[in-house]
Amino acid sequence: MNIEVTVNGRRKRFDVEPNTLLLNLLRDGLYLKGAKYGCGIGECGACTVHLDGEAVLSCMILAVEADGRRVDTIEGLADGDELDPIQEAFIEEGAIQCGFCTPGFIMAAKALLNENPYPSEGEIREYLKGNMCRCTGYVNIVKAVQSAAQKARE
Amino acid sequence: MDINRFNTHIVPIRFDYHAPKSLEEAVGLLAEYGEEAQILAGGTDLIPKIKQRILEPKHVIDLKAIPELACIEETPDGAKIGALTKLRTIELSPLINKKLPVLGEAARAIGSVQIRNRGTIGGNLCNASPCADTATALMVLDAVALVDSVEGKREVPIGEFFDGRGQTIVAPNEMLKELIVPLLPEGTGSAFVKVGWTTFDIATVNVAVALRLDDEKVADCRIALGACSPAPFRVRRAEEALKGKELTGEALEEAAQIVSEHIEPRERWRRAPPEYRRKTSKVLALEALTGAAEEARRLAK
Amino acid sequence: MFASDFSLPTMLHARVLKSPYPHARVKSIDVSGVEELGATVVTFEETPRVRYCPRLVSVPSATYKDWLVLTGKPKYVGEPIAAVAAETEELAQRALESIRVEYERLEAAFDAEDSMGMKDPIHEEIELEDEVLRVEKNIGCTLEITEGDVEEGFREADFVIERTYRTNRRYHNQLETKTAVVRPEPDGGVTIWSTTQTIHNSRLLIHDIFGIPVGKIRVVKVALGGSFGSSIHVNPPVPIAVALALKSRRPVRLSYTREEDHHDHCSYQMVFKLRLGAKEDGTLTAGHLDTVLDIGAHQIQAYPLLGCVVGWWVSLYKLPAKSYVGKAVYTNKVPSCAFRGYGNPQITWAVETLMDELAEKLGIDPLDFRLKNYIGEGDLFWGQGPTVKSIIQSCGVEEILQRGAEMIDWYNRPKPEGQTGRYRRGIGMGRGYHTSSAGAPVPSSIVDFGGAFLKLNEDGTLDYVTALMDHGCGTLEAHAKIIAEELCVPLENVNVISADTGTTVYDVCTHASRGVYSGGGAALKVAKQVEEKIREYAARMLDAYPHALKIYCDEERGQGVVTAEGIEDRSVTYEEIATTARHKNWGMIASVDSYRQPSCPPHFTGYFVEVEVDTWTGKVRLERVIAGADIGTVINPDLAAGQIHGGLAMGWSMTTLEDTRYDPLDGDLMNRGFINNYKIPSTQDLLDLDDLTVFFADTYEPTGPFGAKGIGEGALNPVAGTVANAIQNALGIRFYELPITPIRILQALEEKEG
Repeated sequence: MNIEVTVNGRRKRFDVEPNTLLLNLLRDGLYLKGAKYGCGIGECGACTVHLDGEAVLSCMILAVEADGRRVDTIEGLADGDELDPIQEAFIEEGAIQCGFCTPGFIMAAKALLNENPYPSEGEIREYLKGNMCRCTGYVNIVKAVQSAAQKARE
Repeated sequence: MDINRFNTHIVPIRFDYHAPKSLEEAVGLLAEYGEEAQILAGGTDLIPKIKQRILEPKHVIDLKAIPELACIEETPDGAKIGALTKLRTIELSPLINKKLPVLGEAARAIGSVQIRNRGTIGGNLCNASPCADTATALMVLDAVALVDSVEGKREVPIGEFFDGRGQTIVAPNEMLKELIVPLLPEGTGSAFVKVGWTTFDIATVNVAVALRLDDEKVADCRIALGACSPAPFRVRRAEEALKGKELTGEALEEAAQIVSEHIEPRERWRRAPPEYRRKTSKVLALEALTGAAEEARRLAK
Repeated sequence: MFASDFSLPTMLHARVLKSPYPHARVKSIDVSGVEELGATVVTFEETPRVRYCPRLVSVPSATYKDWLVLTGKPKYVGEPIAAVAAETEELAQRALESIRVEYERLEAAFDAEDSMGMKDPIHEEIELEDEVLRVEKNIGCTLEITEGDVEEGFREADFVIERTYRTNRRYHNQLETKTAVVRPEPDGGVTIWSTTQTIHNSRLLIHDIFGIPVGKIRVVKVALGGSFGSSIHVNPPVPIAVALALKSRRPVRLSYTREEDHHDHCSYQMVFKLRLGAKEDGTLTAGHLDTVLDIGAHQIQAYPLLGCVVGWWVSLYKLPAKSYVGKAVYTNKVPSCAFRGYGNPQITWAVETLMDELAEKLGIDPLDFRLKNYIGEGDLFWGQGPTVKSIIQSCGVEEILQRGAEMIDWYNRPKPEGQTGRYRRGIGMGRGYHTSSAGAPVPSSIVDFGGAFLKLNEDGTLDYVTALMDHGCGTLEAHAKIIAEELCVPLENVNVISADTGTTVYDVCTHASRGVYSGGGAALKVAKQVEEKIREYAARMLDAYPHALKIYCDEERGQGVVTAEGIEDRSVTYEEIATTARHKNWGMIASVDSYRQPSCPPHFTGYFVEVEVDTWTGKVRLERVIAGADIGTVINPDLAAGQIHGGLAMGWSMTTLEDTRYDPLDGDLMNRGFINNYKIPSTQDLLDLDDLTVFFADTYEPTGPFGAKGIGEGALNPVAGTVANAIQNALGIRFYELPITPIRILQALEEKEG
């Protein structure tokens, strides 16, 4: 099936089978390896991308469902050399250990701050509970989101 | 369940994908493909099930292109909620939060934001899981499901929506179109509680309560219990025990006790032993009743 | 970039045929369907019949070998029998499903007791070095150790308590599933990108199995998406992908699905019978520990673990007399491998629980009881079992315990007897430690050394190459800091270069919390050697004596500077030295060397935890945590604290949530490998930032690079014991089985209070 998806601002055309997953289209079709396979059934959040601006799990979305829509991945966040404040905050706060869950967390956090620029700690924790991390215990991740929100205010 | 057939990396089967643009087209496809088709709404249940080879449809009918299926509108009969309305939309809807808060709480308790950005209320119901959180809430709201097919529409009260054997009464050639949810009468307090092993989990037990007081006595009381039997259900005996009574601690305790005596878990359910569900359902019922009562009292002022 | 992100042109996708039965023999296998689909297939009939152990950290005399690349006698549900590779994963999946296998089912056992009484042995023969050993009663290996007169010790005691403890069987749930990408090379060799904690051991194992010359196997270092011990051994996808790549002559990618990964490895499950005796005054007199390890269907490192468990046990508290009997038993379950702490979290849980109970009997405060008996500075310590012993040279246990006690108001903590309400609070404490590497002054049964390569570039920056893996703990950053500190250059001047087995010298593995302690030690060693060369060349340029020159960091110029102190115009930057050396053909300013730490100093941790138990639902909430760590010099405070955060979460999860259980009807995991039924805490399940305090003791380890020790595993080890003790403080109930779930708590409360 022929579809057209705007990925990170660029319109792209694909010919895909209906059973192609959005995650695999991004990773294998476009070599955008940021979104990860962590579980395939929506439990870990490692595949989080934005679909029309909303955080979603690309491992449970067919590529054909993204036809005519906008998909944003972690690779689209930075502006050339300039990192997104959330990316910077993650680095500064030590929120990245093995790094595997990081793209998913950052995309979820970005969606959070887009919706709610001044989240409380409780709101951050609730919004991110679908993202799993085995390394950090989430402490520095929460701090990073707070720091990014703080910076955006300045 | 053959270990070599699971593959969560990909969707391991091929199917024809249909994206009908109208309700007419959709029911036509269902009439044609019936048993061989599955409806795709948010995909958060269907796609994992295909990956796990629980379902292997030859046709996937994506309803998301039909605009009237996703809506929340106030009508004289109550709130009309389209089956394809996202859980996140319900969670954030001012109408729901004002007039049907128990449904908003139930929606919010499901999964994560990412899941609720795709998952729909229709999907949550039609997946027919005993722990479906919106089902428990809809039970105390006396919602009515509108089921559509080429043969026409039919209304099914939510209490009859599940067949008690892990399925819904939606036939292979039918689809859930919308829910009509009567608004709660003025002064009704409500609450939804759920407990899982973590905060990101399905329910081991969930309870929904709607309660209205008339001069400190219980005028109307609805209690629904989920995840403790093949489908969520109204615990009428507990409701009767409270009707007309004064809301004392003992009365609430008695009602909660009755709730806990009505669990009907299946033998093969290994998540928790019946004793655990018995104890926990009582606690949750008490919490939900107490919360609803407090709200009812507050609204009465 | 992670191994699972790696892609090569013409790459094939692989899938593994897994046994659907817990114990069976393959009677026939028909792969004609695969060939019809144009895919490649390898079965157990054609892969090398070399028996191996996938973990090469121990010396051969301690390495029991019972694995085959693919097997015709599967011993657990999920064990690989054959594998296919095709152009797409979908095609590979179809090829997989076309394989027809006939099985003869065999008796299966799912716990150690049953297994020891089984008629059909799981392994008839296993290998140790060149010897073939018969396996009796499914016991893979045993270890017995006695020191001192234990009978006498118990007689001397005024109180003796014996308890049985059962641990859970956890799954690592590392975010990246096990993966190998293998490219066959024209010279008959292979290049491998995989999830591994040791590129050199991966290479050696492939050489052992396939006979390919070592030099023709190149294992490339890639980022690793978490591991926690699950890739100390070479994971099955590696040899399987090598077999497929050699047969198909195409690059092959084999990446496990989560459900396959769940069937691939898990933690060691243990039953301890622990007996401790103490005198009235609170001195321990003797201890006896009986350990049964349920290791699943294969040995990965069961024998070293038997030694480590007794080592961890005897190094917690002073035991004048001790005896130990340990055995590792095969069962038809997923094979166990190291999981952060490698037995230490398990035994520490048991010991810390028993110490609390003993303290209660003695009428001594549990904290004071610990302070009276702990093994610390100047004491002998068994770093990785009985063959790795050293004397402790730095210890912050007192500081940790006393400061923590003050912060949480330990001596005013709740009393379990007083509490009757729905919500009950409790405060518990626990302490532990872990080694920093497995170094020692003499060889042991464990290989532990590493190497590094450092060179000075023409512009005064440095290239640093090491085989040591960093799985996100900040290890390599710490090395860079060590080098920058030693050579007086700004941190940005040290480049950590990508590495592979061809461009690095041997490093055994990133495990045993040795990344900073050992790896940093190697970095320091080569830094010092490079410094020698710098001095020598600077001396030529400055016409001065090399040993008299001073080195400092010029932040403004971003250079290390060598100077004849006090003498005008007698200084040169590293850039000038390197450039001159090149122009004058003096040669390189570089060094490559190996380093073994002569000891494995323990890093110590202590936790104080406040919990709230809802006695109506059995749910336990973390309210407050104070964590103290003695890691010597803290090189990377943020990342070190990060280890504590992660260790706390993992320990909490170990105590209250995790377990893999088996369906007795079909012998498979009850959750079939799907992690919606294996929960770990979410962001909302752990405590708020303000309620967690982490502090570091002020200590200095003389043998560590700049005084540093490790932290990775010590961060986890005491948590289970601490949480269990806190629950006991709230409820007055002790639990002897993990995990302490709401179901178990409600059952216990009912038994106690009705």
